Parts: sequence; structure tokens; C-alpha cells
Amino acid sequence: MSKETSDPDSFLPLPAAEFHILVALADRDRHGYSIMQDVSTRTGGKVRLSAGTLYSSIRRMLEQGLVEELRDNPDPESKDERRRYYRLTRWGRRVALAEAQRLSDLLIQARATGLIPKRL
Amino acid sequence: MLPLRLYRTMLWCYPAPFRREYGAEMTSAFADQVREARREGGWRAETSVWLHTLADLLLTAPKEHYHVIQHDVRYAIRTLAAQPGFAAVAILSLALGIGANTAIFNLLNSVVMSALPVRAPQSLVILTNPAARGVVAGSQTNERALLTYPEFRQLRDESSVFSGLMACQSQLDRVQARVGGDAPEEIRSRMVSAEYFNTLGVQALLGRAFASGDDPAAPYAVISYEYWRRRFDRRADILGTTLAIRRGVFSIIGVAPASFFGETVGERPDVWLPLSLQPLALPGRDWLHDKPGGIDKVMWLHVFGRLRPGVTLEKAQAVSNVIFQQGLAAYYGSALTPQVQKEFLNQRLKLRPAATGASRIRGQVAKPLTMLLAAAGLVLLIACANVCNLLLARATARRREIAVRLALGASRGRLIRQLLTESMVVAFFGGIAGLAAAWMLRFVLLQWVADSVQLPVMPDARVLGFAFALTLMSGLILGLLPALRMMSVHAGAGLKGQGRGLTAPAAWLRAGKIVVVGQLALSLPLIVGAGLLLQTLRNLQRADLGYAKERLLVVQVDAETAGYPESRRLALFQQLLERVRAAPGVRAATYSNNGLFSGSDSGDEIAVEGYAPKGGNDRESRYNHVGPNYFSTVGIPLLAGREITDRDQPSSNRVCVINETFARRFFAGRNPLGMHVTQIYGNERNTCEIAGVARDARERNLRGDVEHRFYVPATQPVSALDSASFAIRTAAEPSSAIAGVQRGILSVDPNLPVTATKALRDLVNERVVQERLLARLSSAFGVVALLLAAIGLYGVLSYGVARRTNEIGIRKALGAQHGAVMGMILRETGLLVVAGLVLGVALSAAGMRLVESMLYGLTPTDPLALGAAIVALAGAALLAAWLPAFRASRVDPLVALRYE
Repeated sequence: MSKETSDPDSFLPLPAAEFHILVALADRDRHGYSIMQDVSTRTGGKVRLSAGTLYSSIRRMLEQGLVEELRDNPDPESKDERRRYYRLTRWGRRVALAEAQRLSDLLIQARATGLIPKRL
Repeated sequence: MLPLRLYRTMLWCYPAPFRREYGAEMTSAFADQVREARREGGWRAETSVWLHTLADLLLTAPKEHYHVIQHDVRYAIRTLAAQPGFAAVAILSLALGIGANTAIFNLLNSVVMSALPVRAPQSLVILTNPAARGVVAGSQTNERALLTYPEFRQLRDESSVFSGLMACQSQLDRVQARVGGDAPEEIRSRMVSAEYFNTLGVQALLGRAFASGDDPAAPYAVISYEYWRRRFDRRADILGTTLAIRRGVFSIIGVAPASFFGETVGERPDVWLPLSLQPLALPGRDWLHDKPGGIDKVMWLHVFGRLRPGVTLEKAQAVSNVIFQQGLAAYYGSALTPQVQKEFLNQRLKLRPAATGASRIRGQVAKPLTMLLAAAGLVLLIACANVCNLLLARATARRREIAVRLALGASRGRLIRQLLTESMVVAFFGGIAGLAAAWMLRFVLLQWVADSVQLPVMPDARVLGFAFALTLMSGLILGLLPALRMMSVHAGAGLKGQGRGLTAPAAWLRAGKIVVVGQLALSLPLIVGAGLLLQTLRNLQRADLGYAKERLLVVQVDAETAGYPESRRLALFQQLLERVRAAPGVRAATYSNNGLFSGSDSGDEIAVEGYAPKGGNDRESRYNHVGPNYFSTVGIPLLAGREITDRDQPSSNRVCVINETFARRFFAGRNPLGMHVTQIYGNERNTCEIAGVARDARERNLRGDVEHRFYVPATQPVSALDSASFAIRTAAEPSSAIAGVQRGILSVDPNLPVTATKALRDLVNERVVQERLLARLSSAFGVVALLLAAIGLYGVLSYGVARRTNEIGIRKALGAQHGAVMGMILRETGLLVVAGLVLGVALSAAGMRLVESMLYGLTPTDPLALGAAIVALAGAALLAAWLPAFRASRVDPLVALRYE
């Protein structure tokens, strides 16, 4: 798939699980369980990804080029050699940004119509 | 650890590639999750993780499977698109097979299986015989086919087992109607009782339907949706518009819903009229009352009831029969002697479930259509075999690709799944194309069933389901064989060799040859059947009627409907006869009461002078009233005595002419001339002297034995004459005389209803509609089967020759001639064909017993049909073999050897 040439907007809206995964990978490369933990911590335990959803999403995001699998373990300290690490691609970052923009626009519109207070 | 083992087992819900790729990761992530939950929240948190994971599995596993299927389908479509020739042949073959099956099934569904478009059809029962139609005046014994209006009324008023009971005219009337002040047009009408729409649970789309309290003084009608659309362009303001039909001016009070065609499958009335207004809609007779003191009943109605909840069919039948018997006893009680009365009381009602309504054609076409469905099934099998062969060849050609994929770690299951998906995709496109073909064919087929039959032939859910099931089955059959062959491919096998041996293994050729033999064997019964049915049709069309059917025109005039009292009808018929004879293009003319191939007949009890009844049907005889010179005009030769002429007047000696069968049956070894026949009906007796013996003639049916029959002069009637059917010998084509004859008739009385103006040849042709349907469709199936089998054979042989190019080259290099090579290929083909034919003959012998009852003038083992089928199949096979054989003979030894 030629990711760089296609329009990030065509991927929107992203499924919630995928956006969470992109967010989790934004600051560093992670393995699957680390993604699950990060999402759970960030959302105060409200969003818990199960292994099925996580790897089904990762499979799709790999195919779409949003993330990539690392050949080498980036964490030399880690004892667990089995872990597979994933990294956000440039294209993935663009798509995540577009999704964030979409959500932000939505929020602005909701504020403008008075659905939610100016400060929440 | 047990939980992890359980989780690993659960992972089997995911497709294998996904499991292999992520299974270990998922298990380890799940283990971490469980560990953490246990540490932080104890067993509660752990249970929550389990439940969460389970729910997640139910959601994501189907998604992953869908993803794999999507991928396979896309891959399959790409591979198919890369070989458009293969795709076209495969899809077209399946489309033919699935289309033929679906088209026939659609027809069968409409005629035989579909429930009436009414509320809760399962609780409807019919008290009359659903296949009966028309008007029977007189009496009947045993099971009653139709009911009279007073009988219906009594059942309606006295029975408690029905929540509703309605009656309707069993026959559709074609009438001239004037809308407002417009010119008359022909429409189809049916009289129904006030309870009709209520009992069926049908609401008017516009206006209202009939109701029990309607005032018969102001005539009213409900029209069908189709008529509303066709004639009134669906205008909402048509309520109150008048329809002038015969003596009545009916105002339209409602429009029936679009899906509603009535209670009889195959007939679609344009308008429903109230039964109570019969004297207006069908003037000249009173069919609403039994004649007091008489013994003639006019049976013309179908009666449908809706069972009350909890009432069984048996109970309803018992209760109805009690009421029915009381009515009969009261009616016949006064008029007849106890002996005759006992005979007349021997009548009963048989109730049947009526969810599918009444139908005259159902009984006629159910068996032929079922047989055609079986034939279409064979065609589909042959088509599947063809595609199967193509797929096999492809799978063989792709052994290398497959071996490579196996070597690269693809699982065998994955590859089989891929192959099955490919065959499913082929089947799916075939199914779609087949459904489209069936959709387009539906009206053509319907016309072949019968010209006058009108059916809702929209494929419904059942038809779609049928087509889908066929498609699925075809896909499985197609995919299975190549998939099985795949099982035997070894990862290394395809990679080792590089020559011909790899791409053309003998195993495939063997499988392909077996498939071809099967195809040939299945084709033969289809071709034999087609031959038998074609010959049957030809025999029937050429059947000897006992007179010439060319240049004979039939015109019917209904004096009763025109309002002529019985006393004036004879004079009218004589006057009409003179006008008809004087019309241009008419050589000779006569008339009879029942006419030729008109569908009506008369029969009564008889006593024959000097003959003691021995049993069977020798107490009864059919008869007809005929005009002067009937026999010479129609062309029925007299074997003895004289025919009926102008000399036979009301006042002269009562005479009759009997047919040959009558003479043989009642006067074996005696001279019938001068003997007497007495017609008996109730207390009535009419005796006439036999003046002549005529040759047997077919006046009603093409099949079966000619019944014994006697003919009395219309001037000396033994029962009331309602109408006259004129038989007119024309100088040229009958159609050329129609206008003149009609003018002549209408010049006597412009209000006379003139119907059934047709050449006898056409009337006879209408009797072979079923046979024509069978002959045409089975021939079509036969040709398709022949074609498919030939294509299959061609494919296998071409492949075989291509594979043996090298061998043939060597043979030729060693001195083999063109002819010898060709002979070698043709000999091998001959073996296949002979094997197929031997099997096919056995199949035919078993299968043709099924069509035995449909045949006419030949037996299922007719040598001509079998011989012709064998020649056709062998010929097609030779033709299919010739091209590959010719190609083989032209192989250049040098090129072939270099190829090595």
C-alpha cells in the first residue's frame, strides 16, 4: 500500500482501540503487554485492551503501515527475548494527528453549539 | 498452568495464520494480565480479565476469519481475472446449470408450493375439489367436486366449525365490459360471495371490499390491482366508476391489494362481482336456487372455510357432511322413488387443506415440472463435472506454485481453503448469472406451461434459497476434487523436476477421464428422454382424430346467456346455421351442443335393448346433441345406417347414431340398427332408435380410449340445450372465414355472445401444452448436456495430446503415419465413449420408467429414441475428439523432440 501518497483522512475515524495504540506508541516503542498497560494507566483503568483486540488491531495497522515491527529488541535490559516491539511510523503519526485534529474539531463544534461548557 | 492451557485452546477460534503469527505474544500478554490482576485484585479481578477476554474473543475471532476470507476472495478473483477464458467457460457452464434449475424450481414454487397471499393461509380449508372447474348440471355420486349456491348457504348458516365460509365461481368468466361510456373490452370476472374477502382476510387497498350487509339492489364490484393499473392508471378517483357487464351496471367500490390474485393459482380475475348478482352477471339462468321439485343441481362453486382455532380438518369434515346430507335428503326427498333416492344421496364432501388455494393446472404440471427439475439437476451435475475438470487441470498446472508455497511454510489446510474459495467464487458468479437467466426466462417458461395461465412468477425467498443452496453445493463439489488432489502434493515434489512430467501428471488425466465417462453417461438419459418426449409430442399432434382437423373452424354461441328461453333456442340455432352456411369461404357447417375439444360433455344412465349390464361403466354413456349432417360435415364416416339430417324433426320418430365403441360394447355380434337406447335421468326416460353407426372419433381427448357415445338430433333433445358449437368446413385457412361467420351470426342478434372462435388445429394444440413444455425443455437440456459433455471430452483429449507431444513425435520419427496417429487418439477416445455409453444405457433404462406415463404412441425402450441418442452422443464425441486427434497427427517430430 502506498501510504505516503494516500490521504490520512481516508482512514478516519480510527477505531478507538487503534487510536489508543497509536497514542501509546507516540513517546516510545513498546511490546504488546506494555501497550495494554499504558492504555490502562492513561485512562485510569477505564479502557482495557484484551489481547485479541490488541493483536487484531496491530495486524491491521501493520498492513496499513501505521506501525512497524522492530527487528531488534530496543530494550537491552529486558530479559524477555520473546517480546515483539512495535514502533509508530511516520505515516502512522500523520494518521494519528489527523484523528486528533478530527476529535479536537468535534470538541470545538460541541462547545460552539453549547452542548458542553467552554471549560470542561 | 491450567488457565494458560485453556487460553491456548481458545486461540483455536482464530484463523491459523493469525494464530501462528500472534498466538505466542497473545498468550504471554494474557499471562501477564492475569498475574497482575491476581496481584492487585484477587480472584474477582482475575475473573473479570477472563470474562473480558472471552467477550473479546467472540468479537475479534469472526473479524479475523472475515479478513482471511476477504483476502482469499480477492486473490481468487485476481487469479480468475488472469485467465478470463477459463473463468468464462466455468461461470457460463454453472450459470446454465443453476439457471435451468432455478427457472424450473421457480415455476414449481409458483404453481405447487406457494401459499395464497392471504392472512394465515394454513387455517384455510377447501370443501370442494381444488382441481375442479366449470359448471356441472345434474347430479354426482361419491365425492362432490363443486357445490351449489343453496348448499353453500346452508353450510355457512348452520356449521359452527368455521370462523368464516365463502364461495366463489370455480371458473373464470371472460366478459365484455364497458367502463363508463367507453367501447366494450374483454375482461376476466369471477363471482364471489359477500364473505369472500373477509374469510381470506384481505383488505381493500382502496375503498372497501365486499361485506355481508351489502345491498344487492345497487350492483357493485371490486377490481384487481393489475386491472386498476392497466385500465385506470392507478387513479384514486375511480371509486364509483361503473362497469357495464351483461345485464348489470356495477359500480367499483374497491381495489384489491397488488399481491392478491384470488383463491385459484394460475388465474387472475380483473374484477370480482357479488355472487348474489348472478342473474345480472350471467343472465338467462338461475344458479342461485335449486329448482323446487327437480333433481338437477347446478354445481359451480368452490367453497373455502377458515377453521376455528382448535377445530381439526376431520371434525370440520364430519360436521360439514352432516349438514350436507340433511340438505340432500330434503332436496331429493319429494321427487324420487326410494331406490333412485338412495343413489342420489350417495354424495359426500371431502375437506382438504387450502393454504395453496385451488388450481386446475397444479395437478397437470406438478409431475412434468418435477421431472424437468430432475433433468435440470443432471445438467447441473454435468456442468459441475466440466468445471471440475477445468479446475483439476488448473490445479495440476499450478502444482509448482503450490509446491513452492508449501515449501515456504504455507499450511496444507490454508491452501485447500484457498482452492475452495476459488471454486466458491466461480460458483458464486455462476449462481448470480444463473439467477439472472432464470429471472429472464420466467415469462417464456410460463407461456410454455400454458398460454392462458397467469402466475405471480416473482422469485421469492424460497427460490433464492434454492439457488443459493445449489451454488453452495456446486462450489463444494467443484472445490473438493482439486483439494483432494492437493493433499497428495509434496512440498518437494513440484520443485524437483523441471519438465513436462511435472505439469501433466498422469493422475490428473486419469481423474479427468473418469469425469468425462461420467458426463457421457449422465448425458445419455437426458438425450433419450428428450427424444421420447419429442416423439410423443409429434405423435399427439399427428394423432388420428377420426376426421380431418384441417380447415375446420369452431365457433360457439351461448343462447342461454343471451336470454333465449329453451323453447326458442332450436329455432335460433337453425337460423344461425343457415347464416353460417351462407358466409363467404364456408363449404359446409353443422353444430352440436358440446362441440369439438370444447371441454364440455354430457353423460347419463342408459338402458340398451337386449343388453344386460355386466358392471363397470356399462350403465352410463356420453352423448351429444348434433345438428343436421353433423357426421358428413365434420368428416366422421358412417359404418352402417344413416346419419342425422334435416328429416329428423321434433315430431318424427326419435333416433340416434352410436359410435363404433358403443356398438362393440353393447351389440357384440348383433346388428344395432333398429334397436333402442333409453336415456335415464331421475324419473325421466327418453328412448330412441339406432339409425346409424359412426366410426369412433376423438372429440374431447387425444389420449386414452374413445368412450362409447351416442348422438341424438338437436331437434329431439334429451336435455336442455344451452349453447351451440358450430363446426365449419372452410374452403381455405379457417382464419379467413372467421369475420364472415361472425358477421352472419351477429346479423341474427347483435347481442349473442360468440366465443371460442378458433381453428380446430389450435384447439387441439392447446391440449398438448404440457407435452410441448416437456419436449421443448427436455430437448434444451439434452442439447446443453451434449454440448457440455463434448466440451469436457475435448478438454481432456486436448490436454492428453499436449502432454504426449513428445511421445507422438517419437512415434512419427519412427515412421508412424498421420492416419495411424489419428487412429490411436480416436481409439482411445472410443474406449471412453463406449464406457460412457454402456453406463448411460443402464442409467437410461432405469430413468425412462419415470417418463413412461407421459409417453404417447411409444414405449420407454423405444429403439429409435435410444439409437438416435447414442448416435448423437457418439457423433458429438467424435467431433470433440477430431480436433485434438488432428492436432496430434500434425505434430512435427523435429519440433516435438526439440521440445524435450
